[in-house]
Amino acid sequence: MKIIPTLTLLATFSGLLSQVQAEPLKINGSTTVNPPVAEAAEILRSERDIQIQVDTQGGSSGGISMLGEDRVQLGMSSKHVSESDRAKFPKCDFHEIHMGEDAVALIVSKDVWQGGVKALTKEQVAGIYEGRIKNWKQVGGPDQRIAFFNKEPGRGTWEVFAHWVYGDAKKAPQVSHLEVGGNEEARNKVASTRGALSQLSSSWADGKTVFALSLKVDGKDIAPTSENIATHAYPLSRPLFLLSNGEPQGEAKAFVEFLLGERGQELVKKHGYLSLAQLKGEAAAK
Amino acid sequence: MRLRWNMTRLSSWLFSAIAIAAIVAMAGLLVIESVPVWKHEGASFLTGTRWFFRQEEFGAASMIYGSVAVALIALVLAAPLALGAAVFSAEYLPRRARLALKVTIELLAGVPSVVYGLLGILLLRDWIYQVLERFDPLSGDTLLTAGVLLAVMILPTIMTLADDALRAVPGAQRVAARGLGMTSTEAVLHVSLPQAAPGLLAAMLLGLGRALGETIAVFLVVGRQDNQWPESLASLRPLMEAGQTLTSKLGGSETNIAYGQPLHWAAITGLGLLLLGLVLVVTLAGVWLQRLAGKHHHV
Repeated sequence: MKIIPTLTLLATFSGLLSQVQAEPLKINGSTTVNPPVAEAAEILRSERDIQIQVDTQGGSSGGISMLGEDRVQLGMSSKHVSESDRAKFPKCDFHEIHMGEDAVALIVSKDVWQGGVKALTKEQVAGIYEGRIKNWKQVGGPDQRIAFFNKEPGRGTWEVFAHWVYGDAKKAPQVSHLEVGGNEEARNKVASTRGALSQLSSSWADGKTVFALSLKVDGKDIAPTSENIATHAYPLSRPLFLLSNGEPQGEAKAFVEFLLGERGQELVKKHGYLSLAQLKGEAAAK
Repeated sequence: MRLRWNMTRLSSWLFSAIAIAAIVAMAGLLVIESVPVWKHEGASFLTGTRWFFRQEEFGAASMIYGSVAVALIALVLAAPLALGAAVFSAEYLPRRARLALKVTIELLAGVPSVVYGLLGILLLRDWIYQVLERFDPLSGDTLLTAGVLLAVMILPTIMTLADDALRAVPGAQRVAARGLGMTSTEAVLHVSLPQAAPGLLAAMLLGLGRALGETIAVFLVVGRQDNQWPESLASLRPLMEAGQTLTSKLGGSETNIAYGQPLHWAAITGLGLLLLGLVLVVTLAGVWLQRLAGKHHHV
């Protein structure tokens, strides 16, 4: 049996090799920011042989806290770093690097959409959130209980939502709804549940399994189209950030430059978000 | 007998000491970190049914209920199947077939739990949602869904341990039972099963321990709805609603928010302590019974 010593030898060597190789660039945070970042990481890995690990533990607040604890070199966040975050990690000099824009859509399942609910007002949304509105017929839809899948607090999507409805995420009343985490989970669960509603990054609302509602602002229905997002006519939009501790250095710097460059911005667009140029362009056109 | 301090003995002492120190340090850390919440809530951390972290209300009762309910559903569903399979493999199958069956089932125990969780989302959620349709559940995320998923996950553990317990009953006793004119069914019912009873119970407790501690699979299908304390503990209706378990709470992003806020963080580590305590008690009881069963046979 020569195979065992051979295997041992191989294992030892590969162990040594992996020690020689530098620590990979670690990135963690929002599942919303993740798709373009993960694809950029894939490209840099194959083209420039930079080792990059992209993870989405805990969403935006996971990205902020892991950067704060110095466990990653770059964070991904779909919300601003708040004063309390900065106070929590005084050693970390958070830099926000704006890389694109996204909107939070209120998505519903097919039966609700076909039952005639196409738009909601802020008051109606607050009513659903606080449990005063429990049935879709109360807002002009079918007679069906509302299954509200609330995004977990701490997710960027939730913060943007709560900020819009209550002015400040901290003022949102505490409620107990079904909870969902990542975007895949939210879309999947809404698609497979009757009377379902959830908050989801608008680029994930495919219009086939889940449907993005318009928001009624001053009597007008405003849909989360890229134009409305860029002009901020659609109120539930938010910036997407990479976060770094101080100015990004070395490989982190190369990564940021790639993502802000032409090809990186193409990736942002490809995944359904607004690139920085679009943002300026659409806003200027108005 | 004189102790001989050779390398083997020394290193096994050392490593056992490290293992024990690790568990003691872990429990100690959880106790120390959770002190503020015990001061803040007192016993109502255990009995309180309201968990609203921004209002600084921390009552873990509905999560304890969720954990226990989900684990018990799993046990009730898995135990009969697992014990039946164990009797079949230990008492009726020839040795080679038994080993083949055991290896296959033990492989199931090695499937990563996130895979079970994804299968749960793909298949089980929708199935439960349809089956329960006449009870009008809010969604397919229910305590029952999590329980059924866990049942699948702990089935191999219980089956293989129960099989070991049955095989530990000395063959001579079966031969004697047959010699007295019992049928093979009677021999199983009146000789093997009673003799193996502590071991079978241990198998179930160890399965229960695994169910209590399982996180990610439960996380994906339980709904994670807070404050679902049932009106009646005996009622089955709450099982068709979403809930929250200790593990699904700890697996969620609330732990990120809690970090850096002493009281909230203490509440989260307090949940960790409760979970550790629950799993430890159940698992230790199982191991103790297993030892008891072992002694019983070797006297």
